[in-house]
Amino acid sequence: MATDSLSNVAASTANISLGEHAATRTSALGEVAIKTEDVGVFYNEKSQALRNVSLTFHRGEVAALIGPSGCGKSTFLRCLNLMNLEIPHCRIVGSIHYHGSDIVNDKINMFDLRKSIGMVFQQPNPFRKSIYDNVALAISRHGMASSKADLDERVERALRAAVLWDEVKDDLNKSAYALSGGQQQRLCIARTLALDPDVLLMDEPCSALDPIATRAIEDTARSIADSGISVIIVTHNMQQAARVSDTTSFFYLGEMVETGPTERIFSNPSDDRLKGYISGQFG
Amino acid sequence: MAKLSAKKAAQQVKAQVAKASSPVASAEAAGLGVSAASVAGAVGAPTIDTQRIVAHVKKAGAQSKVATAILSVIAALICALLAAIVIYIIGSGAEKAFDIAFLTKPPSQFRAGGGIGPELFNSFYLLVLTLVISIPLSLGAAIFLVEYAPENWITNAIKTAIEVLSSLPSIVVGLFGFLLFVLQMNWGFSIMSGALALTMFNIPILVRVIQQALEAVPRDQRDAGLALGLTRWETTVHILLPCAMPAIITGVILSAGRVFGEAAALIYTAGQSAPALDFTSFDLSSPSCPWNVWRPAETLAVHIWKINSEGVVPDLTAVSNGTAAILVICILAFNLIARFVGRRLSRKLTAE
Repeated sequence: MATDSLSNVAASTANISLGEHAATRTSALGEVAIKTEDVGVFYNEKSQALRNVSLTFHRGEVAALIGPSGCGKSTFLRCLNLMNLEIPHCRIVGSIHYHGSDIVNDKINMFDLRKSIGMVFQQPNPFRKSIYDNVALAISRHGMASSKADLDERVERALRAAVLWDEVKDDLNKSAYALSGGQQQRLCIARTLALDPDVLLMDEPCSALDPIATRAIEDTARSIADSGISVIIVTHNMQQAARVSDTTSFFYLGEMVETGPTERIFSNPSDDRLKGYISGQFG
Repeated sequence: MAKLSAKKAAQQVKAQVAKASSPVASAEAAGLGVSAASVAGAVGAPTIDTQRIVAHVKKAGAQSKVATAILSVIAALICALLAAIVIYIIGSGAEKAFDIAFLTKPPSQFRAGGGIGPELFNSFYLLVLTLVISIPLSLGAAIFLVEYAPENWITNAIKTAIEVLSSLPSIVVGLFGFLLFVLQMNWGFSIMSGALALTMFNIPILVRVIQQALEAVPRDQRDAGLALGLTRWETTVHILLPCAMPAIITGVILSAGRVFGEAAALIYTAGQSAPALDFTSFDLSSPSCPWNVWRPAETLAVHIWKINSEGVVPDLTAVSNGTAAILVICILAFNLIARFVGRRLSRKLTAE
């Protein structure tokens, strides 16, 4: 039953035309997008990689997940679109509430879910196709475009939303591999935005990029959040978290230690481990 | 480069030794000797004496020279062997091989002047038929093994079965085909029997090639597809296969070369007789119709074997040489095409 309501919601999201969707986005600012309760991850029966994470993410906000390497922040992120289930023997426990249903169950339609919860990876990973096809592929596979003109329009809109359109509009048929690293990463963002998601997960999206490209991605993340999407960004760069996010959550050794408004987390951390991390004692 | 730096180090060490002739400087020389040794990449305790280092560097340089020389000779031998075989075969068959009449006429039974027209056609027809049957099967098996198969004993059993199949001697495959297709299914010596025998011979090679091509596609391409909500199948068909395509095409063409030159598996399945073909006939039940898959069909490789073992035509050496030359030229062409197409495709898909 829960599954049904989710896939209905996902399907109706897909059918909303641009105008309406934009309207819902603005009105949806601040609404809860996704909420986790006691989420844990087992990579096998013995080792628990993540335990008891309870967090709430709002639309229109950028949330940063920080912490040293191996602390479980990426593992947590990959729970939100169930990408962890692609790993053999990986098990997710707890509950993740999204559009009124708990997505941690066997009957969930992962394909609809991942359409509305987009993900951008650490290394830019465009397909070995043209720039146009990179964005168009998933749109047409999900049957979202009613015509060729509609498809063209959706591709353009996605590239604009990822602030890439002006740089690539003249050579959409060029290979995506001809783009720079930062452009490739924005192409990957465009590719997910093309599916009209309401949550965008970013897994250390700038770790392979230079400072200028990093800045461009950060600005893009901000503008995407401003359009009403909940952006969740994993980073090990505290300056980045401070620059771009509204809320910050600190992970350490598979636990979520502290969460709060970014300003408060950095100016007045309460947990000793967080204090140590911020002052550069480890990590 | 390694040789150069070793030489340099040896010179340096020699210079240090010259300096060290005065007893006062000997300690200093030992130190310098060690640093020179570390430049040369030699491992040694700090107390090593310079004489030994010089000897070692010299020895290493000499060894490197000898080893390089031996390896170069081996590589050259292999190239020379190939060149000698190819030149000899094509040279002795050139007269016939570049003769249009030889390439088009049917073979004669007793008199000189027969050709290999039907054999040439049969070889290509059989190859195309084999590929048409084996490519979809291998593609399916490889996609299953790489993208879907869970890690358990069944998957391992399948993998082992494919490996065993690929190491079966082709004459055994031929005899098995004879029992199953020719006798049991009662298809007689026919193109269909031959094509199926060749399929058994070809599938393990193709499965492995496609498997490797798919495994070589970076993981992040799979993740990207799945994270966009595409199914595993959509990800495979629209993202992974296009990436793997250059390697797959290269592998298919190379395996085609092997199938094209196969004789043992065909002797007892496709048969050793080549009925004269009538290219105007489209009656699929007539033995002279080239497209009839139920007729016996001798290929080039089988023809070579047959005329050398039981041929009675007076010019059998010339015919055999000419056929061999044609066979070798075709297989060389397959290899060159494979390289060309593979490189071309991967350039088209990646760079630009």
